[in-house]
Amino acid sequence: MNKKLWAHDFKAIPFLLPFFVAYVIFTILPIFKGLEMSLYDWTLVRKLDFVGFANYKDMFVDPHFWRTLWNTTLFVILTTPTMVLLALGLALLANMNTKLQTFFRGSFFLPSILSVAVISFLAIFMLQPYSGLINTILHTIGIEAEPFWMADKTLAWVSIVVVTLWWTVGFNMVLFLAGLQDIPESLYEASEIDGATRWEQFRYITLPQLMPIGRVVLLLQILGSYKVFAQILLITGGGPGGATRPLIQYIYEVGFTQNNLGYAATMSYALFFILLILSIIQLRNQRSGES
Amino acid sequence: MSDSNLQGADVLKEASSKKRRAGLLERNRDPWRRVKVSIGVMVAILFIFPIIWMLFVSIKPNGFSTTNPIEWFTPPFTLANYIDILMNSLILRWLFNSLIVALITTVLTLIITSLAAFAISQMKFRYKNFIFVFFLLGLMIPGEATIIPLYEIVKSFNMIDSYAGLILPMIASPLGVIILKSFFDGVPKEVIESAIMDGCSYFKLFYKIVLPLAKPAMAAIAIFTFIGSWNNFLWPYLSILSENLYTLPVGLPVFNSTYSQAYVQPMTANAIASIPVIIAFLIFEKQIVKGISFTGIKG
Repeated sequence: MNKKLWAHDFKAIPFLLPFFVAYVIFTILPIFKGLEMSLYDWTLVRKLDFVGFANYKDMFVDPHFWRTLWNTTLFVILTTPTMVLLALGLALLANMNTKLQTFFRGSFFLPSILSVAVISFLAIFMLQPYSGLINTILHTIGIEAEPFWMADKTLAWVSIVVVTLWWTVGFNMVLFLAGLQDIPESLYEASEIDGATRWEQFRYITLPQLMPIGRVVLLLQILGSYKVFAQILLITGGGPGGATRPLIQYIYEVGFTQNNLGYAATMSYALFFILLILSIIQLRNQRSGES
Repeated sequence: MSDSNLQGADVLKEASSKKRRAGLLERNRDPWRRVKVSIGVMVAILFIFPIIWMLFVSIKPNGFSTTNPIEWFTPPFTLANYIDILMNSLILRWLFNSLIVALITTVLTLIITSLAAFAISQMKFRYKNFIFVFFLLGLMIPGEATIIPLYEIVKSFNMIDSYAGLILPMIASPLGVIILKSFFDGVPKEVIESAIMDGCSYFKLFYKIVLPLAKPAMAAIAIFTFIGSWNNFLWPYLSILSENLYTLPVGLPVFNSTYSQAYVQPMTANAIASIPVIIAFLIFEKQIVKGISFTGIKG
């Protein structure tokens, strides 16, 4: 019996091993390595002194940490509801029975496949004062104001949120689209016979049926928005005056420009726990949605 | 046999005519239909307008600038910028790097996730459930938050600033294993059992029978992995130091900042970076959209 099991184990090893090794080294090991790093002074070159929890103590009184964590949270607050509503609206448009269906889906999704560098520089060139496309259009239609999109705190946030919506909403739209197509046609037919109006159909059939996928989209969006980095770095560089700098950018700067990987690893743990809690909620939510 | 086939065709025909009727019904009943379609058209144009603008600016003569928006879209046009940038910059090299890294990442991901998923789905061994749960944990570990220790680990393998360093940390996708495992679970038991009765080895069973059946799931994971790798910014930004090894997302900003206030040259570079993916998107749109809804919901 035991011998037979060994034989089975032996056969399974070549199938499991490649994934197992890569997974342990590059996914699991960094968690423990990060813990070690957070307890040391650690430069880009090498490990220095053991400092215990000093990095953690520093983190709790570091105003830049709290500010960038707040900026990231603000980004989550600004993007999540707009993203979910816009994605739903676009999915409804893209689900219409029209010859333009493919055109709608393609256009809404196309920006998602462009590189973050491309979308960021498109945004910069469109938003530049004096020569940017947006301001020249404003001038052409008679608005003389010269908005400095990147220099004003509020306008910088507006720019980042709009660009992010444009860039990523197509992905969420596709998830809603799949949800819309899973709604049984018979529900609409039955309500038709009962004389329901279009609005009643939307309110009492479409929306409730979309709730499970809506929850998935919502949580994936929060999770994704907490990881924001590239488009902010490339569009505003975190400015003006650090007003849009997200946590990952600060972690990067501490680690790689201030040469303090130990402290960077410590702050990564804060992000780690936020994201971990969100993923657990997300997985639970998904499982309850499936059963 | 032929009878049931006929019936099947009838059912299909009826269903499609029902769908057509429903479509007509919708067309007649919704007074706002035209308004909605018009809104759709306007939003769609708004979404692709910046991309079209980019393509027009990229063929403007170098140094062109205007305060009249119409002039961006009217001649003179020239392809000189394309030739200049392709000849005198590293952009083709970065395009090649992005492509090679995305391709190898995708192939390796497919190989190792499908092997592991097959073992968990179809083979018997000890601690199987434990190992599956251990892989599931990976779904909860955010790569962005472990990137600093990952850097140290990759450095200790001497893989910073190398293709291996770009590719290997990205291939162990727990999501891929989970999607494929649930797909493999759906392969009919009789097929597996009769293959084993015939003395088929596990590897042959995997390669000849299970894998071909899993094409849709494999395609979805491939698309997902490829787009993810193509657009990955943070990890290449940290781990690559030499310009020769930059991927496009990391290379383009350098390019753009060297040309600072000038519009046309950086825009041409952005267009060169985008045109291949736009073409690929136009060809594979249906599969991409299907793949995302597939992985998004199951994941």
